Amino acid sequence: MRILAIETSTSACAAALEVDGVVTVEVVEGERRHTETLAPAIASLLDRAGQRPRDLERVVVDRGPGLFTGLRVGLATAQALADATGAALVGVSSLELLAEGARDAGATGTLLALVDARRGEVFVQGYDLATTTPLDEPRVARPEEVARRVRSLASCTLAGDGARRYRDLLADLPGARLLDLAVPPVAAALAIGRDREPGAVAPLYLREADAVVNFATRERS
Amino acid sequence: MRVLGIETSCDETAAAVVESGWRVASSVVESSLEIHRDYGGVVPELAGRAHLTTIGPVVRRALEGAGLDPHDPAIDAVAVTSGPGLIGSLLVGLSAAKAYALAWERPLVAVNHLEGHLFAPLLETPALRFPLLTLLASGGHTMLVLQRAPGEHQVLGETIDDAAGEAYDKIARWLGLGYPGGPPIDRLAREGDAGALRLPASMPGPGLDFSFSGLKTAVVRQVGARPDLGVADVAASFQAAVVEQLIRKLAGALERHEVAGLALAGGVAANGQLRGAVVALAADRGLEAHLPSREMCTDNAAMIAAAGLAHAARGDYAPLDLSADPGWSLEAVR
Ligand SMILES: [Zn+2]
Repeated sequence: MRILAIETSTSACAAALEVDGVVTVEVVEGERRHTETLAPAIASLLDRAGQRPRDLERVVVDRGPGLFTGLRVGLATAQALADATGAALVGVSSLELLAEGARDAGATGTLLALVDARRGEVFVQGYDLATTTPLDEPRVARPEEVARRVRSLASCTLAGDGARRYRDLLADLPGARLLDLAVPPVAAALAIGRDREPGAVAPLYLREADAVVNFATRERS
Repeated sequence: MRVLGIETSCDETAAAVVESGWRVASSVVESSLEIHRDYGGVVPELAGRAHLTTIGPVVRRALEGAGLDPHDPAIDAVAVTSGPGLIGSLLVGLSAAKAYALAWERPLVAVNHLEGHLFAPLLETPALRFPLLTLLASGGHTMLVLQRAPGEHQVLGETIDDAAGEAYDKIARWLGLGYPGGPPIDRLAREGDAGALRLPASMPGPGLDFSFSGLKTAVVRQVGARPDLGVADVAASFQAAVVEQLIRKLAGALERHEVAGLALAGGVAANGQLRGAVVALAADRGLEAHLPSREMCTDNAAMIAAAGLAHAARGDYAPLDLSADPGWSLEAVR
């Protein structure tokens, strides 16, 4: 199977290609230049693997939550690649990628996956790492709320750039352990997306009305 | 030669296929205007979201409309608007265009949105005679452009503050006529007295630049002292002042440059009174007047594909690491 995975929900831009079990990864970290870097990264992966784009059978894309512009670059790219080649399109979430990555790193028990949502908030979802199943729905929360949840748990692992950003508030809480995993690992998207049912993929914004709220505020001022 | 064009610079998601000879094989436009109406203008984040939902189906329809295989279309290049425009909107079209170009192994062409507008008249009059003087007026831009040949342009003047369409939107919002402001003001102006307000001529000097922000201030001040005035009279007075300035500058440019014809481009080119005035000016000077249809005035991808065709014919391609340039000026286009 020839699968391409795309991950652009944080400031990093990543793509991974699997061809008959061989995985290659391209990650450009911390630049927020998704528009410029994503397509060349994909072209380079295909080129090095000696594959033509039309040979792709499946495109897996991180649909968020995360940075809105990054998500749209990733989704627009993935959608168009799938449409253009006839490859199947599959969506995964940035939070489940963190959970998969945490499990791969050997973490056990309860995981809180935290993606930096800016403006003093995080996108958060809990996972049971024994089965990598979600404990709740993904949502946007203030770090103080996350801290309360950490205190309510006997022990937990924290992962994601949201955990890193608010480490002062979260990492020293009793029972908390901060994992060195900031970016949703793109290779995990290959693993999760391989067997998932394909179909249309919608972005997971989780802050649907934000722009509208801002606009109303600006209009009043 | 055949080019797929993609346009997402503002609130229209568009794709089109154009062939050599300026033949439009297909042109699909979806607008998210309805989503923005309540906010009195385009909300960038909502526009970006709408583009992402719409772009795939729009491109698919454009390919099918041109009778092309969506998995292996017989095109020579993918042309895309990479500026100017709303950054969050541009990124969607640009990302998709790169992916299509990569997937089909075709070159990418970066098109300036304003240059695209200049190609629109060619699509309806392929035998267009040059040089051509074009008034490009929309919600985002107002400029006078001299074209010696397709792709050879010189900006003679442009607005120093608001765009003409922006002035319409502001006055319409102030009058409670909703967004966009052009159509209701154009309609009301026909019933009103254009002499009801004594509005000063903007930019009275010989230069070819425009200004529209003072006009709104003047309208608001004068209407405040004339509570008896009806909305139609205000609309008629405002529109007369806008059209007077546009035509005066067009006439000023004609005094300095010998051309074969006049053309209108951009959303404001749909304005009935402006169209009439341009036809009259052209007739008076013995010139051809090229008034694009409504579909060609407003944002579309056929004009982007046409400009892309001209660039592709010269081998002027863009790399896959192309950035969107929200402030890309027409003067900077080679
Ligand atoms: Zn335009």
